[in-house]
Parts: sequence; C-alpha cells; structure tokens
Amino acid sequence: MSGVPAAIAGIGATEFSKESGRSELRLAAESVFAALDDAGLAPSDVDGLVTYTQDANQEIAVAREVGIGDLTFFSRVHYGGGAACGTVMHAAMAVETGAASTVVCYRAFNERSGRRFGIPDARLGGDPSSQGLEMSWHVPYGLMTPAAWVAMFARRYMHVYGATSEDFGRVAVAMRRHAATNPAAWFHGRPITLDDHQASKWIVEPLHLLDCCQESDGAVALVVTSAERARDLRRSPAVIAAAAQGSGSGQMMMTSYYRDDMTGLPEMGVVGRRLWERSGLTPADIQTAILYDHFTPFVLTQLEELGFCGRGEAKDFIAGGGIELGGRLPVNPHGGQLGEAYIHGMNGIAEAVRQIRGTSVNQVADVANVLVTAGTGVPTSGLILTT
Amino acid sequence: MTDLETLAKQVVGAGESPRMRASEAVSGPLIRQWTQAMGDKNPKYQDLAPPAMIQVWSMPGADRTAFQRDRIPLDDLLDALTESGYTGVVATNCEHTYHRYLRPGEELTSTTRLTEMSGLKRTALGEGYFVTWAVTWYAEDEPVAEMEFRLLKFRPREDKPQPEKRKPYPLKPAVNQDTEFFWDGVRAGELRIQKCGDCGELRHPPGPICPACRSANRTHVVASGLGEVYSFVVHHNPPVPGRETPFVVAVVELPEGVRIVGNVVDCPPSEVGIGMPLRVIYRPMDDELTLPVWVPLEP
Amino acid sequence: METLMEAQVTVGDQLPELRVALTPTFVISSALATRDYTPVHHDVAIAQAQGSKDIFLNILTTMGLLERFVTDWAGPGALIHGMKVKLGVPAYAGDTLTLTGAVSAVEDARFTVDIVGSVSLGAHAQGSVRLSLPR
Repeated sequence: MSGVPAAIAGIGATEFSKESGRSELRLAAESVFAALDDAGLAPSDVDGLVTYTQDANQEIAVAREVGIGDLTFFSRVHYGGGAACGTVMHAAMAVETGAASTVVCYRAFNERSGRRFGIPDARLGGDPSSQGLEMSWHVPYGLMTPAAWVAMFARRYMHVYGATSEDFGRVAVAMRRHAATNPAAWFHGRPITLDDHQASKWIVEPLHLLDCCQESDGAVALVVTSAERARDLRRSPAVIAAAAQGSGSGQMMMTSYYRDDMTGLPEMGVVGRRLWERSGLTPADIQTAILYDHFTPFVLTQLEELGFCGRGEAKDFIAGGGIELGGRLPVNPHGGQLGEAYIHGMNGIAEAVRQIRGTSVNQVADVANVLVTAGTGVPTSGLILTT
Repeated sequence: MTDLETLAKQVVGAGESPRMRASEAVSGPLIRQWTQAMGDKNPKYQDLAPPAMIQVWSMPGADRTAFQRDRIPLDDLLDALTESGYTGVVATNCEHTYHRYLRPGEELTSTTRLTEMSGLKRTALGEGYFVTWAVTWYAEDEPVAEMEFRLLKFRPREDKPQPEKRKPYPLKPAVNQDTEFFWDGVRAGELRIQKCGDCGELRHPPGPICPACRSANRTHVVASGLGEVYSFVVHHNPPVPGRETPFVVAVVELPEGVRIVGNVVDCPPSEVGIGMPLRVIYRPMDDELTLPVWVPLEP
Repeated sequence: METLMEAQVTVGDQLPELRVALTPTFVISSALATRDYTPVHHDVAIAQAQGSKDIFLNILTTMGLLERFVTDWAGPGALIHGMKVKLGVPAYAGDTLTLTGAVSAVEDARFTVDIVGSVSLGAHAQGSVRLSLPR
C-alpha cells in the first residue's frame, strides 16, 4: 500500500462444525496457534491483535491463552461480517506505520451451537443507541433476520433487472459444487442441483433455504507482517496490494432502504473503487475472487459493483458459468460460506491466501491477484492479494 | 356462478318492486329530532323537511316487526347474504336527487330495484359483495325523489382486534427524543414525517439534525396515509416472537417522497406486488404499542 | 341566517370549515334521528365484533351533515336539488369530522359544491351537493 507493503504470512483454522464442543476462546487460541505455526513464527513474535467488535474473545484473553507477551497494537473492526477484510487492513496499517511488527487477525465463534444470528432476537430494537433506534424502524414489524433484510433488496433487484430465484439458485449450486471437492468444507461431497434449490423451503420470500449460507462453529486466524519479512518465513507471502473499508451515503446496517436505489451495494462500490485505485489493477487482472456469500443475491450485486459485469448483467454472467471453476472469474473455489463454512468471511481470506500460494484443493491456474470482499449490506471492506 | 350470484341475477331481472308504503308520514316531530341531532338551525325546516331526510321516511325503525310491508326480492338477496355468513354491513355510496321539498303530513310510497351485485371482493373489512339499488319516492303519483344506494355485505374477519386484555407484544421499538414524535403520532392516528423547521426537508427515518441544512429545528408533517409497495418480503422461517407466519413486510414509498417500512395486512401475501397502492391503518399490538400498518387501497 | 344570492357566488369560493365532535352521544342520537337502528351505530360490543374499533357514524347522518354544511353557508333561501356521497374510512366515536368544501361548478344557475369530510384516519366522505340560490 505504501513503501513497505504488508503481507499475510500465515493462515490457521480449526475444523468447521455444527458443534465444536469447545469454548469460543479455545477456538480462537487454536486458530492463532495454527496460523503462527503455518508462518513459522512463535507467540512471542506477535505484538498486535485485531478482531471484530462482535467477537466474544478480547485481545488480552487470546494473548494470555496463546502466550503472547507485550502488545503494542490492538484494534476491533465494527459492522458484523463487514469487518473481515478490515481486520487485515488495520493490521497492515499497523505494520506499515511501525505500530506493530506482527499482527494476528482472528475470528472465533460457536455461531451454530451458541448464539445463532438467524434467530430473531426481540432485544434488537430495544436499546436507544443509534443502532437500536435504526433497528426500531424495522424490528417491530418482524423484519429482524439477516435473511429478511437481504430478501428486501433481492425482491427489488428482481423487479428492476428481471432476475429470478433460479438466478440466485445458480450461485448456491456453484458454491456447493466447489465445496463438494474441498475436504475442509462442511458440505464436502454433497453438491446440489437447481431443483434442490427450488424445492428447498421458504425462509423469507424471495429467499429459499438454499439461498442462505450455513451456520458454523469454528475459528480462523491470519498473520500479517511486512512483505519483506514474510519472504523470509516458511510460506510464500500473499502481499496486500490494496485494502479498503467502505460505507456509503445513507448507510445503515442491512437496512439501507431509504437511499435512492435499492438494487446496488454502494458501500461495496466504495471498496471496489479504492481497491482498483490503490492497486492499479482492473477486473481483468483478477484470476479468482472471494465474494462474501451469506446470501446468494448479493453475489450478483457484488459482481456488478466491483465491475466484473454491468448493472443487471450478473445473472447472465452466472448462467454462463462465469463464477465456476474454469469460468471467467471462479468465485469462492473453497465453496464459500454457502459450502465451506460461515466464519464471518475470515475463511474466505484464508482461501485467497491459498490461491496466491498455489496450494488450494481447488486451485485456479496461474493466479497472480485475488480479490476478497467482506460482509454485504453493511459497512464493509475488501482486499486484493497478490503474489 | 355461485348461488348468491344466481339469486342476484334473478332479482335484477325482476326489475322494479311494487309501490310500498313508507313507514312514516312526513312529520314535524321527526324533522325536529333530525335537525336537533344534526345541529341544523336552518329556519326553512320549521315548515319543510330537510331533503336529505328522504330515506328516513322509509326506514323500518327500532321494531322491524311493527312495520309490515310486503317483502321484495331485494330482501331475499340481503337475507341470503347474511345467511351465507356475510353478516357485516357497511354503506359505501349514496346519491340523492330531490324534485321538491316535502311538507309535514305528506304520505309517501316508494319502489325499489336492484341495479347490480358485484362479484366477491376482498376488502379491508373482509370478503364481501357490493350491492347497489335504486329507489324512487312518490307523493301520490308524483315522483319526489330518487336515490341510488350501495352497501357492502361482508364476512367479518376472524382476526379481529380483541379489545380485552392483550399479551405484551415483544417487538418494541427503542424511542428517544429524536423519534418520540413519530410514536406519539401513531398513537394519535397520524403518520408523522420529520420536516426541517428551517429548510423544509422531509426525512424518514428521522434524526436530530437536518442533513441538508444542519438545523436542529425539527417539525413534522402528517402524511396523507397513502403509499405504494417499493419492495417487500414474505417471512416464513424461523418463527418471530409475537408474530404468526407467514407475514409481509414492505418498504412503502409515500407520495410525500420518503420511504417507510411496515407490514401489509388484510391481504394474502400472494396478492402483494411492487407498485401496489396502500393506505395506512393503525393497529394496536398491546396496551402500549400501536403500529402503523398498511392495507390495499380500495379502488 | 342570511341567504346568499346567485350573483354572490362564483366557482372556487371556499365554504367555512365545519368541525363536528363525534361524541358517542352525537353518533347514537344522530343514527336514531335518522331511524337507523343498526347496532354498529350504537352498540360498541357489536361494532367491535364486526371488526370495527368503536361505533361509527351512519351514512344518513353523513348526508345530513353535508346538507347542513352547505345550507349553513348558503342560507335558508337555498334550494337543495341533490347530493352524492362516497364513503371512505369510518368516522368513529371520539374522532372529529372536519368538512371542507368549495364551489366546483355552475351550470344553468345550479351550483355544485365539492366536499371532503376528514377524520383522523383519512377521508371519511367525499361528495358533492347541488343547489340553486335566489337571484
């Protein structure tokens, strides 16, 4: 990003499950150990930690468990899954400014066996904070699950561009096909058909069950250090060519229904423009992309916001096999959150690193640049990693 | 065609009823009772009947059995509707034409003719039929007034609001100084939209500072209560506290130029579509909270 | 009560607003004065069983109030020739009915006054009254 680029030097994860049987802090510690081992670093090398505001494990708790000593940098990124690439951005900024030399980003939760984000919580609108008041325009009407919030955008998108449920279904089918050949994926060996998608029950019309990502227990950690130092470590580095956060005008958490248009993701447009500008790259330079896929419709919107296709054209891009392995832009070769696991976007960053290293189980040929995005419908973030 | 529609067709075919005696002669006491109830101080009604009273002379009064008139085919249709469960009744249209003013002592007769019965309609009150008939009043053989009258015979909805004790509704909004005007409005049966007291900008959801001019001088306007569906969802799963599934939530675009989220009710989810015209109603959710919700706008 | 003369009235003239407080007494006494004994106009429990929140104004009263609204303005010399009403939202007890109107047309010395009767829920009645005035 500046004179001393940062890189991701190590990745680590627990298994992905529906019931880890362990505390969230233990999952966090295990993933950090795995990432440090992958990088060939010791806990004593770490002087910075970054996670999500939504993570239940404080930095100091993780440091105690892992045996990290002094910390000179710790930071949290807000807005749910929109934080994912933002943690790496914060870590890279710390490394580039000298605030820290080695920063670990982590996300750990029992999102399936513990508190599930998809279960309506009557307390969402009860607190007169700015977010509680924002939710209060929606929660009293029962509009209170992520699927419902996204479905509202999806319906308008369908109306304006003539997209159909099948167009969304093709995203789910592609992700499950990718996951089917990834042994780490929850849905390893279990592809679906478009008929399965159409036959799956309604969650919130127009979204079927198979438009929604899974719920998972697990943790992922990433080690960020200077690219120069990373070159001396165990793995070849994934250099951070660009990192960006983005929030749009009139932004809300999942319910930005009051802006002029409801068919785009302006905050992802902000991220995209920054990534292209900072990296000097264009969509044609990207060999594979990790697009946040908590719900299928926003995969279409992201392809459009990031410039991989024109407005309303994502459905044709996808129907033509564009997002599949072997297609114009293979998306989520690991199977994404629909197929591999829902670790709030952090598992996607790990896959991007594997693609740069050339070690993915579903390796795309000749990868030089990978684009990664974070949570959609919320203030978000993105990365371009390069060899 | 349903039995009711067949019957309606027969009644239309039967045409004009025979002349029927009005229930009451035009009289001073009934005129005074009317003018006092209406607060109408027009001195003309010391000797003449208010023209709008024309229908009064044929009303059956409190004891329907006391006033005997011959049954007419329209009675059969209205009774059949009631027996079929369309027990609710609400007048929707009335048109009068008066040829002259009536004096106390005049005795009237009238004829009635069913003009039409609509197909089964879905309305905010429930499913029902609009029934339209025409009446002509005569003094001796002189036609003195005509009326066309339309009412809705409907099947009352089962999910009618229960005024008795309510369970607390679990989905409460947070309210603070910036938003309480909205919820106060809802309790008063008003849909309030924040308006900047300086530049006039309308804004929903509201906030403490006008983003157009930085003013903290906030006022509001009362919306017309009309809107249309901009986008919507049908929630099926998982269950939502305080709600029965499926239910519809829509982003509603108001003619005032802002959008608001709310439920669309009294309408099957499959009939909701983008662009559908709506009007707001106010639904008490428990003893504390009233929500503005939306019903299809009747054409 | 003064009577307006034909020459004093032109299209566009606004009528003085009439506000009627719809107390339960008003709703019930006017319904009975029109000899309308339908229970929804005087029995709260039956009105609620039909899905209404309270007793509400009957249509004959709405007609009577439109007529009063026009003759309050036009005076006792006015002749009412006809009226037309379309009902909208119910006018429940406890609400206030506000009548506003304006002269919308004149043809062959017959004036038409267009009227809207509003309550807190919206338009309760939209209608018109046809009348003539002394020359």
